[in-house]
Amino acid sequence: MILRLLASIRKEFLLLVRDRAGLAIMFLMPMVLILVMTLIQDVSFRKLDETRLSILFMDEDMDCLGVAVGEGLEGSGFFQVVTTIDRSALTTEKVFQEIAQGKYQIGIVIPKGTSEIIRSRARESVRRALSEGDSAVRSATHKGQDRARIILYFDPVIKSSFRQSIRNALENFTSRIEAKIAFQVFAGEISSFLPEGRQIFLEPRNSVNFEEIYATDQYNEIVPNSVQHNVPAWTVFAMFFIVIPLTGNLIKERESGTALRLQVMPGSYIHVLSSKILVYLVVCLIQFLLMMLAGTILFPLFGLPALDPGHQKLALFILAASTAFAATGYGVMLGTIATTHEQAASFGSVSVVILAAIGGIWVPVFMMPNIMQKLSGISPLNWGLEGFYDVFLRGGGMVEVLPYVSRLLGFFIVMLLIAFYYHKFKVVSD
Amino acid sequence: MPEKTLITIKNLSKTYKGSDEPALDSICIRILEKEIYGLLGPNGAGKTTTIHILCGLLQPTSGEVTINALKLDRNLVQIRRIIGVVPQEIALYPTLTAWENLQFVGSMYGLKGMTLRQRIEECLDMLGLLKFAGRKIKAYSGGMKRRINLIAGILHKPRILFLDEPTVGIDVQSRTVILAYLKEMNNSGTTIIYTSQYLEEAENFCSRIAILDCGRIIAEGRPKELIASKPEYTDLESIFLHLTGRHLRDH
Repeated sequence: MILRLLASIRKEFLLLVRDRAGLAIMFLMPMVLILVMTLIQDVSFRKLDETRLSILFMDEDMDCLGVAVGEGLEGSGFFQVVTTIDRSALTTEKVFQEIAQGKYQIGIVIPKGTSEIIRSRARESVRRALSEGDSAVRSATHKGQDRARIILYFDPVIKSSFRQSIRNALENFTSRIEAKIAFQVFAGEISSFLPEGRQIFLEPRNSVNFEEIYATDQYNEIVPNSVQHNVPAWTVFAMFFIVIPLTGNLIKERESGTALRLQVMPGSYIHVLSSKILVYLVVCLIQFLLMMLAGTILFPLFGLPALDPGHQKLALFILAASTAFAATGYGVMLGTIATTHEQAASFGSVSVVILAAIGGIWVPVFMMPNIMQKLSGISPLNWGLEGFYDVFLRGGGMVEVLPYVSRLLGFFIVMLLIAFYYHKFKVVSD
Repeated sequence: MPEKTLITIKNLSKTYKGSDEPALDSICIRILEKEIYGLLGPNGAGKTTTIHILCGLLQPTSGEVTINALKLDRNLVQIRRIIGVVPQEIALYPTLTAWENLQFVGSMYGLKGMTLRQRIEECLDMLGLLKFAGRKIKAYSGGMKRRINLIAGILHKPRILFLDEPTVGIDVQSRTVILAYLKEMNNSGTTIIYTSQYLEEAENFCSRIAILDCGRIIAEGRPKELIASKPEYTDLESIFLHLTGRHLRDH
């Protein structure tokens, strides 16, 4: 039994190392995938001041609002404020044209007199407040005032959530300016009631501080970032892509007749499969190790933060091995049931992509609609991913990953049983 | 001394799922020890189906097979240890060398160390392939692949050897070497069950033959006796065409 197993392992290993395209799929592609996806998704994890967006800003107001918004945009660090193009001042037409051509994504125009409108509205509001009960003043205030305008131009490719964020930021600026003007006017009006020479100064102040705390193990020092999120996600995805070479291996054996030879030799089908499972399990673990190394060594070379694998190495290894078992089990099941390379490759890849999407690899589960959040629990990729998140982000250990490990190993056993019984009843008793 | 019956096939039938016509229809065969028994017939006659059932690759719809006094359906593991199979396809790994392929097959039959090494060398030498042992199978010619395919089936010195069209599509030289080696094995005590569409080859090679058509045995006996039984025909091919007809057998 051991001799046969060793001979099969040796054979599988030789087949694997001589298949250069297969090696590229198994090792190179996942590395490229994980690097590209992390680099792309890194933007959404970074602070906005690290990815300054160019914004066209045309200040026709040239008064306190225009100046404050300009300074606010510049000072926020979120944006690169562009006020001239080719050394020429911006015009409304130019702003529109540049954005329509996709050269810039956002344009802000503050029309002339905007500050004055705000100022006079604030003044009127203060007067109205101070002349309580005087209906003539109140109705005049409502009738006589235009609202101030700020014109925003957006490239249609901008997502509505991003557009809303820009709008919120501008509303924040203008509210502060409006409040400041209102306070100044209010202070001036009150000062007029005071004895001569006495003045009061009022300033709007932010009285709420926001404190951010990551709800993790108190001893966990891992900082959530794109690498901590993306490396486990795309590692699980890449590990499941083992189904392509594994199903190819099984189908090639059937087509060439070597499967037939294996079947007439002493030993059961499970014995034939066990060598494949062991070899592809090792491949998955090497993939995992390579991706961990890429996260810790390669990523910093591309300006990404280095991966922090945490202190729970045993939990990490057991989780990786369980994910590898689940992936190989899925490959064995598909390879047994599929009848052609095309069938196995297309169904294998599409099903892994679907399971990845359901499992939260592409979009985090908490952002999915309710029904999809419930569905995510059926994906083995989700079990692997949640387990890795427990270790990588929540400081979890063996106890925390055990439920995921059990589910992944259970999935592996179910896949193997399906493969075994399908082979026994459908192939042998044809 | 009476010859010992090694394989008994009783009323063996096989109908594939989704097919109305039986691939085998109640065939009965008795194969003696040290015989070379030929299963001949046109395409779709049931030759490969018979071999696959005898090797345990297919389950019959009905009937009974006994090999070396062991019921096939209950003793598959023991039976597999004494049989060798040379399938019609080149059942080898193309990216492995001949040596690596044979080393794997030998190990699967429990051969190891020096015994395995010597056996591989002996077989490769006998079939004129020793100097190409380190070459990958994909670089071999058709005849060379057939010879390695044969070695993979006989490496463990089986008592019974099933050969499914072992000489199909190869040159005369390779065919001659293969048949000579098989004769030698037979002389050493191996019982051979062999399918072929080459009637002249079967006429010279087999001790007994059965002609199958549409899943039924339509003639059985020693080639010379079969020819003698029909004085109007001078060779096996004429008798074969007389029995099976001249219409094409496309399935």
